Amino acid sequence: MTARLIIGALFMVGLWALVAKRNLVKKVFGLTILNSAAVLLFIAEAGASGGGAPIMGGGQRIVDPIPQALMLTAIVIGVCVTALALGMAYRLYKATGSMDIEEIRKRLGNG
Amino acid sequence: MIEAMLAAILILSLYAVESKDLLHGTIALSGVSLLSSLLFYVLKAPDVAITEAAVGAGVSTVVYVWAIKSMERSESP
Amino acid sequence: MSARAPSAQVLTAALCIAAASFALWPLANFDGPWPEGIRDYLEARGQDESGARNLVSAIYLGYRGYDTLGETIVLLVAVSGAIGMIGAAGSKLTPGYADAAQGQSPVAGTARRAHRRTELIDVVTGKLGPVVLVFGLYVMLFGHVSPGGGFQGGVVVASGIVFLGMGSKGAGLSPLVGAVTLARIEAAGFLALLLAAGLGIVSGAGFFAPPLRGASPVGYIVALNAVIGLKVGAGIGFLCIAMLGEAER
Repeated sequence: MTARLIIGALFMVGLWALVAKRNLVKKVFGLTILNSAAVLLFIAEAGASGGGAPIMGGGQRIVDPIPQALMLTAIVIGVCVTALALGMAYRLYKATGSMDIEEIRKRLGNG
Repeated sequence: MIEAMLAAILILSLYAVESKDLLHGTIALSGVSLLSSLLFYVLKAPDVAITEAAVGAGVSTVVYVWAIKSMERSESP
Repeated sequence: MSARAPSAQVLTAALCIAAASFALWPLANFDGPWPEGIRDYLEARGQDESGARNLVSAIYLGYRGYDTLGETIVLLVAVSGAIGMIGAAGSKLTPGYADAAQGQSPVAGTARRAHRRTELIDVVTGKLGPVVLVFGLYVMLFGHVSPGGGFQGGVVVASGIVFLGMGSKGAGLSPLVGAVTLARIEAAGFLALLLAAGLGIVSGAGFFAPPLRGASPVGYIVALNAVIGLKVGAGIGFLCIAMLGEAER
């Protein structure tokens, strides 16, 4: 229960960074933290259901391997999203000269 | 043990979000990935641990450092 | 100077967090048992049906192969999108500010200085690069008996390519870290994955199934791991090499 609460707090930190920060790179920090919170929740929940890692031949009952397989894909997609978001932030910076979202909104609105 | 590592991850990510220097925030996120990778190993998920270590502390940090170098390093208030 | 007062923005963010906490509270308060049917089935039948001792490899290559196919497509699209956006020259959006952005130095507040490399980086990354590449290939190819597999080995190979790219600037670039080479390897890897998955249709076993019915399916798993590792490693390595080369300018 406390593990879930701490992971929930991590999710809220990521959401806070995504919504309330004005810098573009801080918003991308928020995306990365959200991804980390979701992956941690899945693996923490799956790790409680067995005894050993999902390699056969160990002699213990294995943990559930399906969340681990899903989170492999999720981690690689998370880094793809980060790279694409930072590419977009770079293009916005080259087009408007600022990294602040309110400044960008003003400059794009008047241009 | 698990709760202690999760609390350390929470503190590091809070520091990453609130720091004025973006490079310090990037290193804090790399620390978050390292602690997550250790936590995945403790939670009996070795494949996810290898992927998180190589992706979070390697590729993701390279992409962030490129972005900060091409744009601005400090968060202008 | 800002469109809204800062306190309104903080209030909006606080409302977002309150709504998200309210929506996610049942997830934290859940007390039911973990459904164990799938775990029991995989423990009993997974090794015989797919031939791999590592059940995570058996899942993402055998039982949920379409997820892997979709993930490679996402990686291809993201890498080409990011490189396309970074490489596109000029912008017509705000003519007054384009000049201001291009005249600025990469690190705000400091003058443009010559690129200094210390010997420590050259020695450590240049010597460690091949070691990390070999480790990545080992993790990639032994994914069916020990922790490892296509994705894991692929991202380690990408880290090795980053090491080689960082360390070999002084002594001449090795041909592995050319951007065009890596882009071609990634495209070839994606085509090879489609070919390997489609081979099952030719022999009548179905899409994404082992093509030779009599043989043990382990060979198919090893081949798929190798192809996926090559594709993921070349894709992410290409992204990092392009960004390292872009930051050099």
